[in-house]
Amino acid sequence: MTGLVRDYCVFLRRCLALAFVGDWRYYLWVGTLTVFCLLGLNAYAKQFVHGLVVTGMTDQVSWGVYIANFTFFVGVAAAAVMLVIPVYIYKNEELHELVIFGELLAVAAILMCLAFVTVDLGRPDRFWHLIPGIGKFNFPGSMLSWDVIVLNGYLLLNLYLCTYLLFCRYRKQMPSKWLYLPIVFVGILWAVSIHTVTAFLYVGLGGRPFWNSSIVGPRFLASAFTAGPALIILAMQVIRRVTATAPAGKAAWQREGATAPWGVIRRAATLADLDLLARHLPELASVSAQVRQESLAGAMVLEVAAGDALLRQGEKDTDAFFVLQGQVVVKREEGGLTRITRGLGPGEVFGEISALAGTPRTATAIAEEPTRVLRLPAESLRKLMRNHQMSRIIRSRMTERLMITDRGLLTLRSIVQVSMLINVFLLLNEVFKEFYTGNLHVAASEYLYFGLHGHRALVPWIWTATGCNLVAMVLLVLPLSRSLRLLNVACVLAIVGIWIEKGMGLVVPGFIPTPLGEIVEYSPTLNETLVCFGIWAFGLLCYTILLRMAVPILQGKISKANEPGRKPQDSDAQLRALLKS
Amino acid sequence: MNDSPSSTGRSDAWSDASPEQGMNRRSFLRATAALASGLAAIAALSPLRELESFSSVEEFLQKHYKEMTPEEMAKVLERIEREVERQYGLRPHVRDYKPMNGVEYVYCLNLTRCIGCRKCVHACVAENNQSRNPEIQYIRVLKMPNGTFDTEKADHNYAPELVPGKGFYYMPVQCHQCKNPPCVKVCPVKATWQEADGITVIDYNWCIGCRYCEAACPYWARRFNFTKPSIPKDKINPDMSYLGNRPRQQGVMEKCHFCIQRTRVGRYPACVEVCPTGSRKFGNILDPNSEVSDILQNKRVFILKEEVGTLPRFFYYFDI
Repeated sequence: MTGLVRDYCVFLRRCLALAFVGDWRYYLWVGTLTVFCLLGLNAYAKQFVHGLVVTGMTDQVSWGVYIANFTFFVGVAAAAVMLVIPVYIYKNEELHELVIFGELLAVAAILMCLAFVTVDLGRPDRFWHLIPGIGKFNFPGSMLSWDVIVLNGYLLLNLYLCTYLLFCRYRKQMPSKWLYLPIVFVGILWAVSIHTVTAFLYVGLGGRPFWNSSIVGPRFLASAFTAGPALIILAMQVIRRVTATAPAGKAAWQREGATAPWGVIRRAATLADLDLLARHLPELASVSAQVRQESLAGAMVLEVAAGDALLRQGEKDTDAFFVLQGQVVVKREEGGLTRITRGLGPGEVFGEISALAGTPRTATAIAEEPTRVLRLPAESLRKLMRNHQMSRIIRSRMTERLMITDRGLLTLRSIVQVSMLINVFLLLNEVFKEFYTGNLHVAASEYLYFGLHGHRALVPWIWTATGCNLVAMVLLVLPLSRSLRLLNVACVLAIVGIWIEKGMGLVVPGFIPTPLGEIVEYSPTLNETLVCFGIWAFGLLCYTILLRMAVPILQGKISKANEPGRKPQDSDAQLRALLKS
Repeated sequence: MNDSPSSTGRSDAWSDASPEQGMNRRSFLRATAALASGLAAIAALSPLRELESFSSVEEFLQKHYKEMTPEEMAKVLERIEREVERQYGLRPHVRDYKPMNGVEYVYCLNLTRCIGCRKCVHACVAENNQSRNPEIQYIRVLKMPNGTFDTEKADHNYAPELVPGKGFYYMPVQCHQCKNPPCVKVCPVKATWQEADGITVIDYNWCIGCRYCEAACPYWARRFNFTKPSIPKDKINPDMSYLGNRPRQQGVMEKCHFCIQRTRVGRYPACVEVCPTGSRKFGNILDPNSEVSDILQNKRVFILKEEVGTLPRFFYYFDI
C-alpha cells in the first residue's frame, strides 16, 4: 500500500515535470498562450475593480458573452462521453486510446466553464456562499445550484478516470474493471445531465418565452453532440500531427541510411504496366481506356531490393502505390512497439491514405523481397477512383487497414453526422412553432432572425451560423467528408455555427425585447472580449499541458520501469532522453 | 540545446563539460523565463491597485441574514453606520425592521388616473438612496397608445414637457412582490426571499451577483449594480433599513421593497405618498376594511402577465 502511494506521488511529480519539457515549438505555443492568459487576467483585474460596467451588459441584457461561452463549453465537456460510449458499450477498440484524450478535453472544458461563470459574477469574493454546507445552497430549488453540483462532479469524475487509467499505464498494469467501469457508466449519465441541467437554467424561466420551450433541452444535447465530437476530431488530428513528426537530428540520419534511393530500376509507367496490374486487380478493367491513359501522367514503376523502404511513417509525401510483383510489408510504430500490419501481394494498394487525405504516412512500407511497384500521384489515384468499382475496392481496403485514429475519426464523423441532422431538425421544429403561430412570443426570434423595429445586431450572426450549420450538414451527409480534409472543413463550420447559435444566438435574444417590451441591444466590449480570449487561452493551455503529460505515458515512454533511482526527480536531460527514445 | 545523454562512456573533460554547460544555459534560460512570467503576472494584476477596501474581513465572513443572532445583527448595523459615515460624511440610522403580524401588503394602481408624471420614480430614488450615476430606478413608466396592452408598443423614454399625452395612457411597472416569485426560486444562495408580510427582499451582503434573478423576473423589476453606486452626499436619506434602502455595494442586485423602512412602521411607500393624482393605493389585504381590499372586491382589476403564474401582489385597476 505504501508502495502504491509512493508510486502515485512519483507519478504525479513526474507528470508535473513533463509539463515543463518540450521542444521550441512547445515553448513557443505555451508562451503564446500564457501571454493571452495574462492579457485576459489584466482585463479581468480591471473588471474586478470597476465592476461589470466595463462589459457591454446592462439591466436589459444582463447576461452576455461570458454566459454564452459557458453554455457552449458545457456542451463540449458533455460530448467527451461520445467517445466513451462506443468504446465501453460497443467495444470499439479503435477509439480506446482516444478516450483519455476526450476526457482530458472534458476536464479543460469544465475548467473553462468554471472560469466563465466566475468572471460573470458581480461578487466573486463571495464564492463561498455557493459551497454546500458552508454557504447557503439553494438546492434543489435553483437550477444554478444543480449546475454547480453536476459541473464539479463531472470534473471530479473525469479527473479520476484520467489519472487512474494513466497511472495504470504508467505502472504497465491492466486497469481493474471494478475501479473504472462503474465510474464510466456514471460518467455517461452525468454527461447528459450537465447539459440538460444547463438547458434547464434557461427553460425554467417562465417570463422569457424564447427560452421557456421544452425543445431547448434536446436541442442543447443535439448541438453539443455535434460540436463536441467535431472539436475532438480536430484536436485528435493536431495531436497526431504533433506527436507523429519525427524529431530532427538523429532520426534524419537513420532515414538517410535506410531508405531506398528510389529503386534499382526507375522508369515512367506505361499502359502495359496497368494491364499487368489489372490481372491482379480486375476492377481496373472497368476503367475506361481514356482515364487509364490520363492516370499515367507522373506515374512511375520502381523496382526495389529486399529490405528497402518505399515510404515511411510520419513523412509527408502523398503518392499511392500498387504492388505489381513481389511482396511488401506494412509496419506501424506505435507506443514504442512496431506492429506488422500485413503483407501485401500483387494487385494490392498501399499509401492511399496519405494520397486521399493528405495526412502524413500512417505506417512504413518495406519490400520483403525484390519487388516491383507502380507509383501513382494522388491526382491519378483520384482519377481512377472516379470509377465506382475502383473506388469501392480501394475504400474497402483502406477502412480495413486504417490506422486506429483514422478509423476512430470516421466513427466520430458518423456521430457528428447524425447529431447534426437531429440538431437541424429540432431547429426547424422550433422555427416552425415560433413563426407559424406568430403570436407575441415570436418577438425574440424575430429579433434574432430578421431584426425588430430596426434593431438587427444579431441578424448577420445568426444567418452566418445557419449557413455554417447547413453547409456542414450537407458536407457531413455526403460521402465526400470521408476525406479528412473535407471532414475538417465540416467540423470547423459546425463548431462556428453552433458556437454562435448556442452562445450569443441563445443567450442574447432571450433578453430582447425585455419583459416590458424595451429593446436594448448588446455587444461585448473590448475588455469583455479580452477576458474571453484569456479564458480560451487558459483552456487551451490546460489541455496542452494535460496532453503533454498523457501522451508520453500512453506511448510507454514514461513509466515506473524508468523511474529515476536515487534522485526523487528526473533531471531535465533524463526526461528529454526518455521522450526521444 | 545540447541534448546528448551523458552516458556516452567517454570520460574526457570535453564531453563531460558539454551537457553540464547545456544544463547551465537551460537553467539560466528557465530562471529568466520564470522571472519574466512572474513580472508579467504582477503587471497584469496591476489594476488591482485601484481597489479601495473592496470587502473588509468582517464583511467577507458575515453570515446570512437569517442566521445572525440579534447581537450579531446589532454589530453589523453598527458597522454599516460607520461605513456610511466614512463614505458620505453623515451618521445614518440603520435598523432591521421586522414584518408586522397580521399584515400582508398589496398595491393597487389606477390606470385611469395615472398621468405619467414620473414623480413616483424620483421620490423612490430619493427615498431609497438609489445610485444617480449610473442611474438606477425601481419604477419604469410605460407610455402606451390607447387601445393596446402590447408592451412592445410602449415608449420607455418619453420626455414631453406636458403629460398626459393625447391618445396615450401610462402604466408604471415595479416589483410585483409575487406570491410565487421566480426570482426567489432561482437564487442559488438564498440571498433573496419572501418575508411574512409579502415583501421580497435581498440581503445585499449575501448576493453573489449572478443576475439569475434578473433573468427570471417577468416584470423586469430587478436592478444590478454594475459599478459602485454614486449618491451625492447631500441627497442621502439617513433613515435606513438593512433589507431596504441602505447604500448598496458594487456587484449586487437590488429592487423595490415597498419602502420597508416606512411601511413597516405604518407609513406609506414614497411613491404612494408623492402621487399627485391618487392613482397609487397601498394597504393590508388581510384587513377587510382597507382601501386595497375594497378595490380588489369592487373594481375591475387587471393583472400584468397573469399567465406566467407568479401571483403578483400588485394590481392595476380602472375607474370607468
